[in-house]
Amino acid sequence: MQLKRTVIAASAIAALTLTAACGGGGGGGEDPAGEFKAGGGAGAGKDATAEGPLEIPSDAKKGGTITVLSNNAPHTLDPTRTYYVDSGAIMSGLVTRSLTQYVYDQKSGDSVLVPDLATDLGQVSEDGLTWTFELKDGIKYEDGTEATAEDVVYGIKRSFAIDTLTDGPTYQTTFFKDGQKYKGPFADTDAELKKLPDYDPSAGWYGGEDYDGVEADGNKVIIHLAQPFPELDYYASFPVFSPIPKAKDKDPLAYESHPMATGPYKFESYKPGASLKLVKNDQWDPDTDPGRFQAADAFDFKFAQDTAKLENQILGDKGAAQSMMTYDDVTPPTYKSIKESAPDNLVEGTSPCTYMYRPDQTKITEKKVREAISWAYPYQAAWKASGEIVGVTIEPGTSLLPPGTAGRVEYQYPKGQDGQTTDPEKAKALLKEAGAEGFELKWYYQRDDENSVAKKDQMVKGFEAAGFKATPVASTDETIRDDESNLDAPINLRYGGWCSDWPSGGSWFPAQWIGSNANKPGMPNPTNFKEADADAKQAEILKLDADEVPAAWGEFDKWMQETYMVEINAGYDANAFIKGSLVGGVVNDPVKGMPSFSIMYLK
Amino acid sequence: MTVSEVLIQGPDDPEISPEPRTGDVAGRSPMRIAMDRLLSDKVAMICAGIVLLFVLIAVFAPLLCKLFGVEVRAGDPVTDTDSFNYPVIGPPNYGFTWEAPLGLEPNSGNDLLAEWFYGARTSLLVATIATVVSTVVGVVLGLIAGYSRGWGDRVITFVIDLFLTLPFLLVAIAISPMLVERWRENPTMLDNASLIALIVILSIFGWMGLARLIRGEVISLREREFIEAAYVLGMPTHRILFKELLPNLVAPIVVSFSLSLPATIAAEATLAYLGVGVTGRPSWGQTILRAQSWFDEYPLYLYAPIVGIVVLVFALNLLGDAIRDAFDPKSFR
Repeated sequence: MQLKRTVIAASAIAALTLTAACGGGGGGGEDPAGEFKAGGGAGAGKDATAEGPLEIPSDAKKGGTITVLSNNAPHTLDPTRTYYVDSGAIMSGLVTRSLTQYVYDQKSGDSVLVPDLATDLGQVSEDGLTWTFELKDGIKYEDGTEATAEDVVYGIKRSFAIDTLTDGPTYQTTFFKDGQKYKGPFADTDAELKKLPDYDPSAGWYGGEDYDGVEADGNKVIIHLAQPFPELDYYASFPVFSPIPKAKDKDPLAYESHPMATGPYKFESYKPGASLKLVKNDQWDPDTDPGRFQAADAFDFKFAQDTAKLENQILGDKGAAQSMMTYDDVTPPTYKSIKESAPDNLVEGTSPCTYMYRPDQTKITEKKVREAISWAYPYQAAWKASGEIVGVTIEPGTSLLPPGTAGRVEYQYPKGQDGQTTDPEKAKALLKEAGAEGFELKWYYQRDDENSVAKKDQMVKGFEAAGFKATPVASTDETIRDDESNLDAPINLRYGGWCSDWPSGGSWFPAQWIGSNANKPGMPNPTNFKEADADAKQAEILKLDADEVPAAWGEFDKWMQETYMVEINAGYDANAFIKGSLVGGVVNDPVKGMPSFSIMYLK
Repeated sequence: MTVSEVLIQGPDDPEISPEPRTGDVAGRSPMRIAMDRLLSDKVAMICAGIVLLFVLIAVFAPLLCKLFGVEVRAGDPVTDTDSFNYPVIGPPNYGFTWEAPLGLEPNSGNDLLAEWFYGARTSLLVATIATVVSTVVGVVLGLIAGYSRGWGDRVITFVIDLFLTLPFLLVAIAISPMLVERWRENPTMLDNASLIALIVILSIFGWMGLARLIRGEVISLREREFIEAAYVLGMPTHRILFKELLPNLVAPIVVSFSLSLPATIAAEATLAYLGVGVTGRPSWGQTILRAQSWFDEYPLYLYAPIVGIVVLVFALNLLGDAIRDAFDPKSFR
């Protein structure tokens, strides 16, 4: 999942040593940020036997409306297109049920993959090319009609229409049978296929209902793959795998105005970009759902709110504000006040995202120079100048895979680089060895963003102290995304981030570091990393058994950095958000980097 | 002068002097009279003192920084801010310290006093140049338009109307990305270009009012005998414009200059606040932009640049009013 929200979430990870991160503080003899919540690993666990109903905590008061405020607005709430962290958490948590889901385990502070509509986490065939999910009985839509395996199949077919229903996840086109050829149920004539972008008559494209990659057999959903996809059970938790009644989908782009609910809440009203009101869905059966409960009467989402205003409201914690919360990252001034006045109303946690400075392999060819950058980059100064709270909204990072990813291997490369050490002398020595003293680094910054400018100033200082020539290239808030993903951009260092789609390297390396994507427009491989042995290793890992795969990705992470020094880890993203005192069950879902709406209630 | 001209112009303005006439009736120029009135206006003198103080601050910003032992944009976030990104010395968490009289900036640790001094410098530099340029352009075009009957006047009036229709903020915001596109790979050039562009924008949007005013004055003046006499004597046009007409227009020019200077300072801060002003150098508008989210915890951060703008603009406005009063023989306070 790309870091698509502009304001990215924030938090704290127990596994990391944070004392150093808090250095420079404590002028008054106290270090209020010194204690960190013990967070868990992000959803590495699975439990195929979990069953409903989920117990409602004893301090929960039945009823009431939980108001959720945010500065952002979800781009779309169509289940097929739900690939943003905010829309994903709202839809999966409250409205749509998929084949599998995550449930937050209070004891371990971790999210566990459990069945949702399916009776288990899916059965995979011997050759790894066929997955079978059996649906539970008695699943109904909000209008009382039965949700069938046919509807799930239709929902999956719908997800192949990536040109009509844009921005959704696209693993199905890579892994499913005929994934590159099947264009979804809407383009069912040649004339309509020809209208799609990049139409190629020889590619054998087809559309319509007639697709045998997914089929329904009674109450079973059977998925046929083109290549093994050992982590399909994780992917099956996306709303792409939720039932969508074909009869209600006359106009695919309008379906988002009222997706048919199978979860505990249904749409009452939705104004895109402004508000979403969810009310109880009386057709939802708690006995079939091990991951959600229905304690509050309603959820009232208000989008595009002013940050300062919403923070002040929640911070005040008076009257209606007591049942309000936000999933936006807290700003430093508010963080300090709430930490002092009402620490219980501050929720911190991990987010499965890593920020990276990404040297272009075709322009910075010398590995030693790339290592030198990792010593020259002024980690602490850059974080602080850009308004991050070290240890709260950002964590020093080592491995590329963020903490909590299954099979993650913790390593330091270059040796001794703990993700926050700046050592200009080491950088100078490496540059000298490489014969590249005064190497010019060029990167984009947003000229109209004060934080970005302040960060750029610190980076120029840091790089110049380490013997580089620093040339920041101006961009603007509006154009930075296009500029960064421009293949011919006049820079050699890109900045970006990547978030897990599920907690394993399978949603990382094949997505961003595969040689076939290098040097392509749009920069799907942001470092243009293309090495034959790395690609061969990745293909091998995809063929392994499902239980060996996560560890293999962990090892691959370490191998790739040690052999090629592909990325400079600029820190793990972390979450810190605030809530009113009456909202209970607010925990950070480490898999999504969002609050888990499915277990939220009013006290 | 014909009878009709007398009727149109009315009787001559009565010559009023604040001082009683004495036996000595030495001739005094209108300029001299105005200056005398201005000097006797206490409010005007206080405001002039304040403006002078700001000018001195702007001119001697580096020296003042050395005097206070502060340095501009030299903060180190690692050593100067704590784990909440708040400054480790001075307000808001600690008492006043001479190390940083106005405190340090959260996040970056830059010194705010130095930022303030240099902000005054940017403000006055941009506003002064822009106002001088727009005054010169306005006066020249107004003179030409007023004196050239026929198509010259029509063309310039059309240009004035055209520029008056252009939305100032929209153009300013639209030009910023164009500059970035042009000089994106050369940071020093980009900073200079953004400064020059700001001055140009403020200049080309500031001359129209004065040009209209001057044009109107010239139209009424050009029918007077001394101009006609100069014309009949064969004086070249530029000489008529600059030697005969211009000296009679000093009053409106000085008044317009003194009133548009504070407006330009405010406009500069507004643009900086909107993120399309100067970059790479301190500016009050930028400080206000950064400070607003910290206001609850750290009000001084926001107050310092606001007080700077308010005091300077207020003083300049009062001074401008006083100058107008001094030059206008019909008004009394």
